[in-house]
Amino acid sequence: MWEKKPILLMLLATATILVGTIVTMVLPFLWVNTEADRIAEVVPYTPLQQEGRDVYMREGCNNCHTQTVRPLVAEVLRYGDYSKSGEFVFDRPFLWGSKRTGPDLARVGGKYPDAWHYQHMDSARSMVPKSNMPDYVWLRDNPLDPEMSRRKMAVLGFPYTQEQMAALEDKNEMDAIVAYMQKLGSDIPWRQSARTEVVGELTNPYSDNDADEQTLAAWRQLFLNNCSACHGNNLEGGIGPELVGANYDDSTLFQIIYDGIPAGGMPDYASLGPDRIWQLVNYIKQVDRSGEP
Amino acid sequence: MDLASLLYLLVTFGLFVVFALIVFRTYRRKNRTKGEAPKYRMLDDD
Amino acid sequence: MEKPKYHTDIVRSFINWSILWGVVAVVVGVIASLQMVNADLNYPPYFTFGRLRPLHTNAGIYGWGIGTIFAMFLYIVQRLCKTPLWSLGLAKFQLWLFNATIIAAAVTLLLGFNTTHEYHELEWPVDIMVVVLWVAFSVNIIMTIMKRKEEQMYISLWYMMAAIIGIAILYIINGLTVPVSAFKSYSIFAGTNSANVQWWFGHNAVAMALTAPPLAMFYYFLPKSTGVPIYSHRLSIIAFWSLIFMYLWTGAHHLLWTPVPDWIQTLAMAFSIMLIAPSWGSVINGYLSMNGQWHQMRDNYLVKFLILGITFYGLQTLQGPMQAIRTFSAFIHFTDWIPGHIHMGTMGWVSMISFAGIYYLLPRVYGREVYSIPLANLHFWLILVGQLIWSVSMWVAGVVQAGMWNAMNADGSLTYTFMETMVEMYPYWWARAGGGLIYLLGILVFIYNMYMTVNKGEDPSLALLKAEGRV
Repeated sequence: MWEKKPILLMLLATATILVGTIVTMVLPFLWVNTEADRIAEVVPYTPLQQEGRDVYMREGCNNCHTQTVRPLVAEVLRYGDYSKSGEFVFDRPFLWGSKRTGPDLARVGGKYPDAWHYQHMDSARSMVPKSNMPDYVWLRDNPLDPEMSRRKMAVLGFPYTQEQMAALEDKNEMDAIVAYMQKLGSDIPWRQSARTEVVGELTNPYSDNDADEQTLAAWRQLFLNNCSACHGNNLEGGIGPELVGANYDDSTLFQIIYDGIPAGGMPDYASLGPDRIWQLVNYIKQVDRSGEP
Repeated sequence: MDLASLLYLLVTFGLFVVFALIVFRTYRRKNRTKGEAPKYRMLDDD
Repeated sequence: MEKPKYHTDIVRSFINWSILWGVVAVVVGVIASLQMVNADLNYPPYFTFGRLRPLHTNAGIYGWGIGTIFAMFLYIVQRLCKTPLWSLGLAKFQLWLFNATIIAAAVTLLLGFNTTHEYHELEWPVDIMVVVLWVAFSVNIIMTIMKRKEEQMYISLWYMMAAIIGIAILYIINGLTVPVSAFKSYSIFAGTNSANVQWWFGHNAVAMALTAPPLAMFYYFLPKSTGVPIYSHRLSIIAFWSLIFMYLWTGAHHLLWTPVPDWIQTLAMAFSIMLIAPSWGSVINGYLSMNGQWHQMRDNYLVKFLILGITFYGLQTLQGPMQAIRTFSAFIHFTDWIPGHIHMGTMGWVSMISFAGIYYLLPRVYGREVYSIPLANLHFWLILVGQLIWSVSMWVAGVVQAGMWNAMNADGSLTYTFMETMVEMYPYWWARAGGGLIYLLGILVFIYNMYMTVNKGEDPSLALLKAEGRV
């Protein structure tokens, strides 16, 4: 029969291929991206954000960065609330990626101030010396094209205002990609709901006496891993303020590191755990006292 | 058991039957020489 | 029976070009692997990792992989059908379009025209070239099969036809897009749907481009090289239907723990496990064919390539299903383990079989016996060692990385920052670059061997056969 009739064999092969295709690829359209998935807070990209997204695609950022937080303990702790289907309805196409050479970006929106992103894009290694991310400072030289942007928005069917479009005139691709970064995962108010609060009295478990050299070195490493990108290797400040001479009391400093200062662009470091936050508090205080980082 | 589950069950069962039929058809005694003939023709000088 | 006069020049051209694109793929791969350890090797805007990686995968899959498949299918289909190609003119057009497409792909990818669909990065104009190319190829193969002199079709032809249909369906649907300009378009699918369609495509491109065609080649070249038939033609048929049925359900194992509906993920996981059966159906068929012939592993260099190739296929199809299990995926997904897995399939399975096919065709298409068997053996060992270093270093890296990502302190906080986990990867990335270089060295030995073969002058006996139109 079909072993002698190629057309029949191909028809049967097509039918065979289509069974799994229909069940797992076609049928899901009945459920995915329907009203059931809809999240009211999730809004389309602005022209600037969409331009940024296109730069992200053009530069193949998806080859090293993922954009989906899985509902796994370590992942939610590291990146934030797990990703929901409804958050991606305006993504054509999806950019979840398949490899995390760099960190996940699904929740990066609002995590850092704009200045952080600009400097990091200019030269990631100026902030994180051992990074292997290429420099993208050259994006600053590429202006945006409002005419092209208009056509893109028309194809995507996204609303925009004439002011938004006019604003593109004096923006460049760097502005666009930073705007896109700040939009990622920030439509839903997950930061507010994920916020933990410190209750009760805060007591510094470490004494005010100077730590020995070994302890100090460990604390310094902790500082370099988490804080120096913004506050400088020697606490001299940068994107964030100088920390020498700030003279916070222990519990205030702890609270700032733990909760962050959302309005000021300081991320929260609750995920470090109380013990390491106390170590940072004591490191900062000791440098302040001795003047030696 | 709702209709959807029942349908799934039936489809799954149907697929197993199709598979069994293919195996039966391929491996029945009558087909032994015919089914294996192409592998010997492969050895002809081409 | 009188021998038909087969077309061989076109096969030779496809082989030559696909080798060229294969070298491009490996060289770009080595460069990209060095960029991973030193960001100074990125030369923006055209030569950054983000633009070179799609070039690497496209040159590898489409240039080397599909190019070789074109060559081998055009050769095999004539022999299995005992008739010349339906249209030599169409095949020549296909060769021209193939190279034009690969060049267009390379240029546009470096310019940043990238849809970001993995293994389907090409923007719509180049996409259309790919579709025309595939149609040209398919028509020729199908028409040749239609006018075949051998009524009952050998299993290799089955796999060819399935691949022809499968690729067409997958590529066209996943490529559906709305153009904004000549080189920018937006997929018609959004968000979770777009993810699900993409990995339905992505995983089945592996099935239809990197599994079915090499299996067709394996089933042809193994008996031809060993002189004994495959163990069971009927087993190959059962494996065929099961394979092409089950593969299509498994795409979502690339999307475990994502917002894709759970039931799709569960189906993908179950079918991935089930896929072990048809995959190993072919592996066992290959092994059992070697019954009483294992000494050929020593005496016949072709057999070494083929058996190692099918062995890597066997390992690949055990490791793959393992990764498709939710718990294991939670740990290993997104780490360097995954490239380690993929490269065992491409550098081990697909390339080993392709090299075997090319060596086998030397006397039959180039009219010359291979210049040096010791060099062919050296080629074998270099690519084997290179690939093993590549994959093993990445598997270890993946486990280390996953362990560090998940490490937690007693107070429930994460032990490592992301950077600390990444810095830990550098030694493994160096090892990977080393493995890639060894592999590249193996390919250079292969090319040298090819070059010397082609230039050493035609074997007199073969020249005679050729004059009679028998090769």
